[in-house]
Amino acid sequence: MLKTSSIKTLLENTLFVWMGLVLILAIGSNRILLPDWIQVIGRSHPLLLHFPIVLLLLGLLFVWIPGLDQKPDARSIFELTLLAGCNFAGLTVIAGLILVNEDYDRDAIFWHQWSGIAIFYLCIIIYFFRHLSKSFLKPTSLVLALGIILTGHWGANITHGEDFLLAPIQEEESEITPLAEAEVFNDLVRPILESKCMSCHKEGKIKGELRMDHIEGLQKGGKSGPFVLAGDFENSHMIQRIGLPLEEKKHMPPKNKAQLTEEELIILREWVANGASFDQKVMEIAPENELFILASNKFEAKKTYNFEAAEASDIKSLNNFFRKVEAIYPESPALEVSYFSIAAFDPNSLGELKKVKGQIVKLNLNKMPLTGVDLSVLKEMTHLEEVQANFTDLDSKQIQLLASLKNLKYLAISGNPIDDTGLQAISQMKTLINLYLWTPSLSDGQRKTLQTKLPNTSIDFGFDGSGTIYPLNSPKVTFDKMMFRDSVEVVISHPIKTVDIRYTLDGSEPDSLTSPYYSEPIWLKKTGTIRTKVFAKDWIGSPEANFQFLKSGLTPTEYQLLSTPNKKYKGNGVETLFDQIKGQNNHTTGEWLGFQDEAMELEMKMDPEENYSELVISLLYHEGAHIFPPALVEIKGLKSGIWKTIASEIPEQSKKVDLPRSRFLNYDISVGGYESLRIKLNSIKSLPKWHPGAGSKGWVFVDEILLN
Amino acid sequence: MEKEEFEQGLNFNRRKFLSRLSLGVGSAALGSLLIPDLFSGKAGAEDAIMDALPHFAPKAKRVIYLFQNGAPSQLETFDYKPLLNENIGQELPDSIRGDQRLTGMTAGQTSFPLVGSYFKFNQYGQSRAWISEIFPHTAKIVDDICIVKSMHTEAINHDPALTFFQTGAQVGNRPSMGSWLSYGLGSENSNLPAFCVLLSRGRGNGQGVYSKLWSNGFLDATHQGVQFSNSEDPVLYLKDPEKMSRDERRKMLDQIASMNDLSYKEFNDPEITAKIQQYEMAFRMQTAVPEMTDVSKEPDSIIKLYGPDCLVPGTYAANCLLARKLSESGVRFVQLYHQGWDQHGNLPNEMALQAEDVDQASAALITDLKQRGLLDETLVIWGGEFGRTNYCQGKILADNYGRDHHPRAFSIWMAGGGVKSGMVYGETDEFGYNIAENPVHVHDFQATVMNLMGIDHERMTYKHLGRRYRLTDVSGKVVKDIIA
Repeated sequence: MLKTSSIKTLLENTLFVWMGLVLILAIGSNRILLPDWIQVIGRSHPLLLHFPIVLLLLGLLFVWIPGLDQKPDARSIFELTLLAGCNFAGLTVIAGLILVNEDYDRDAIFWHQWSGIAIFYLCIIIYFFRHLSKSFLKPTSLVLALGIILTGHWGANITHGEDFLLAPIQEEESEITPLAEAEVFNDLVRPILESKCMSCHKEGKIKGELRMDHIEGLQKGGKSGPFVLAGDFENSHMIQRIGLPLEEKKHMPPKNKAQLTEEELIILREWVANGASFDQKVMEIAPENELFILASNKFEAKKTYNFEAAEASDIKSLNNFFRKVEAIYPESPALEVSYFSIAAFDPNSLGELKKVKGQIVKLNLNKMPLTGVDLSVLKEMTHLEEVQANFTDLDSKQIQLLASLKNLKYLAISGNPIDDTGLQAISQMKTLINLYLWTPSLSDGQRKTLQTKLPNTSIDFGFDGSGTIYPLNSPKVTFDKMMFRDSVEVVISHPIKTVDIRYTLDGSEPDSLTSPYYSEPIWLKKTGTIRTKVFAKDWIGSPEANFQFLKSGLTPTEYQLLSTPNKKYKGNGVETLFDQIKGQNNHTTGEWLGFQDEAMELEMKMDPEENYSELVISLLYHEGAHIFPPALVEIKGLKSGIWKTIASEIPEQSKKVDLPRSRFLNYDISVGGYESLRIKLNSIKSLPKWHPGAGSKGWVFVDEILLN
Repeated sequence: MEKEEFEQGLNFNRRKFLSRLSLGVGSAALGSLLIPDLFSGKAGAEDAIMDALPHFAPKAKRVIYLFQNGAPSQLETFDYKPLLNENIGQELPDSIRGDQRLTGMTAGQTSFPLVGSYFKFNQYGQSRAWISEIFPHTAKIVDDICIVKSMHTEAINHDPALTFFQTGAQVGNRPSMGSWLSYGLGSENSNLPAFCVLLSRGRGNGQGVYSKLWSNGFLDATHQGVQFSNSEDPVLYLKDPEKMSRDERRKMLDQIASMNDLSYKEFNDPEITAKIQQYEMAFRMQTAVPEMTDVSKEPDSIIKLYGPDCLVPGTYAANCLLARKLSESGVRFVQLYHQGWDQHGNLPNEMALQAEDVDQASAALITDLKQRGLLDETLVIWGGEFGRTNYCQGKILADNYGRDHHPRAFSIWMAGGGVKSGMVYGETDEFGYNIAENPVHVHDFQATVMNLMGIDHERMTYKHLGRRYRLTDVSGKVVKDIIA
């Protein structure tokens, strides 16, 4: 007696241990890190679980056997059974919570896991409150028993598969049809008719003289007329009836029956619109068609392979910096191999792939130097479907080898020289679905012949540039400074090395016949413009590139601004105008002085020793940013104390919004011998009507004043 | 009998109950040993999330994102709205505009006169898609692309809109799309970064781009976008100094690595291992990058295909060609930004120039990937950060007008990598102002891109500062209709 009660106490105590463990494992189950030995405990779950089921159900009987209260000995046997059952339930739950960390889908086990935990706690409650009234115990024990059965069932679903129990008495569900094989009528339309129409329109119950259970019946139609007519909504009774308002007597399916869903309506209508065919395949419909879109979401487009997967360790050992070996998608046994890095390519490494030769379906060797490389290992890759070997310098022997691969469906060998032997070999590859053969050396005739020999292959011959003529891009003109004191070196270049570069220095437009060739850098010693274009066979000549070069030998002895530039665009003050740095076509660079409210006014003291010939004002025009030519340019010279107007003119004004550009205004100052010069540039007071900002003040931007 | 009763059931005395409870607490403590991070608040589940990637069979392996920065007008590209031409100068009805907030640039405008496209539209290809005359090359590949005319976003200014497109949030500091994919899928070619960025600038009014757009945010620094420079040296500071041999460099890196390893052992900072890895990758990049940027082996017809500008470093065409080369060599995500699409004014002039810069090369990229058999596994995306208003900003002239920012509807296109080809998805109303059919939010777009790459956007998360983040924040629906 003493012994039994101490066992009982011990077992009651252990219940608390299990409760604590269950609690912590349930909370942290997805973050658990398992030592191997614990995994063994987890895996004992399928063994352990039988004990609590039997023991608990047996133990619960004490509630239901009448008169047991009067027999304490017998009752205590049941109680002990229940207690043992509770302990086993705890162990089972703990093992289960450990096991779940192996590869189980957590959604699938959700109910099993939590109902199992609930059972564990419930049976403990029943155990400790076993002396309460029967009105509490009876329903609780029933709930527990039901819970045990359900949990067991859900558990069995995990190990034996969904609906294992009822499978023999259930209808067999069809497998997901691959998109490539799906048919419009059989896979899309017929299931709708079966579920929504056929109960009233089939052998034995042919309402309205319409039978839908065989195609002849559908073709024949019903009492009122044809069931469907290709593309004809008006006279297809099915379309008519499904479109009627629900209240109408003729609406189908009848009001009290299951109605067609939005998607089903679309499928039926599009089926008729697309010809109401009974054997059309989904793939034959245009991809933008709604029916195709619906179907492509419904049917499986994923490829499946049924060969054995390779050893994970083999796959791992084959991966390195220059070769990637991986499954084409998670859990697929099929592998794809890609090679990278031309410099690191080791032809012998192809042989290492023998380890996984049965699993490789795709091999990417693009750009690898394959000249003379032995590709015979590819023949051992029995499931090889796709080879990419663009720009690998394949020779005809290697192409013959590729052509001998039996399962090849996709082959990309663009950019390889293909001779007649190679072409002959390729034309034998009847299994090919796609061939990428962009090789400009092939003649039109060769292409046509190949396509006729491979009628089922879609061949991409790629871009053929020979027929099209595009313009060349402008040459690049490189120089140190646009403004120079003595001379400047000008280099003209073009990215295509084979073009002819022509140029002129006399202001005339360069042409492809008479203008001088450019062969070496040009040294400019005086002010002038370089105009240059490039020409080449099969190309339209380039647009012109031109640059004006300014020799600026002279500087005034003193200079000062009489007005102040806008404070945002004040550059380096007046020095900006004489620093010999040509500004870029962007007014915000700090190389420009900007004037808006005030006119620009500059005074320069001239060196009486020098002979000045020309004054150049370098300006920026950019209508989009309200930067316009000056409204008025005034130049005055001081001679014997009197200011005399040298020039007062309105320069050519803008007529439209154009891109930012630089312009020079040149003035002759050769006569006069002035002591000082004053330049005044008035900004435009009100932008012209055609401008989006019409009416607002314009800007003048100036970056250099040059004297020669 | 009473005592007997007392000893049973849960109503045993308190001391006994507590002592039994302590057994439970003890076992819980024992159990917690199995969960090292239970109380530390760190995410042990992150590894599990990563192990499960990709979540399903990817349709695309790589992405090339041709970002048209500044927001090209949908009304002069792919969204043909003849009504606007018929009603030029008339007011946009209030019923259409609704309560759309305006930018500071047109908020003061008292009138919202409709303005139609200066450029003519024509229908092309099997899909009979409308394309503006300034995109003649794109028109030729229309059957290879899927035009989405019903994009919409939340932001109305460039920076938040760009940041939203790239990181899923309008405020900075989150990882960019390329960083997420680098984090989720890693690099195909371990000799090159998984995420590369190429910049170019057009001749139109432009908006800047900032490195925060290709930032790794809170992800490991190895997932940051690597910006390629426009100069002769595409990756700066990659070359060894003159007269330094590769062996010497190797020895130096080994030494540094062993020192870094020591400090890693001391501080356990994962940034240190990231640093070691970056040095190693840079070493491998020293040979991989010159292979990549060498255009001398490109056949003549490639120059013709992309246009001769593809030989001028820093142009959009050169970046498209480089993008193909990077992608072909296994770079997971190549991000281009082409600036200059912000046509508040002078739209006809500037858009013509912008289109001239990008049209041929964008189309060439598609053709080129296709002729190499790579288009099926490469997703190409072309588009800006929002659309432009159907009414004029400033004055309307026969050949000059402007358009302000418009978040409610704009067009992008996608091609290859599991996207349906020759398809036009979504419609706007006849004013081109609101979406009439199949709206695609920026998060939907991001969810779709992730899906094409084999990632469930709701499952790939990263825990940072106590919460889990994902690219699509708390929304996003995969647009299944455009997936092939």
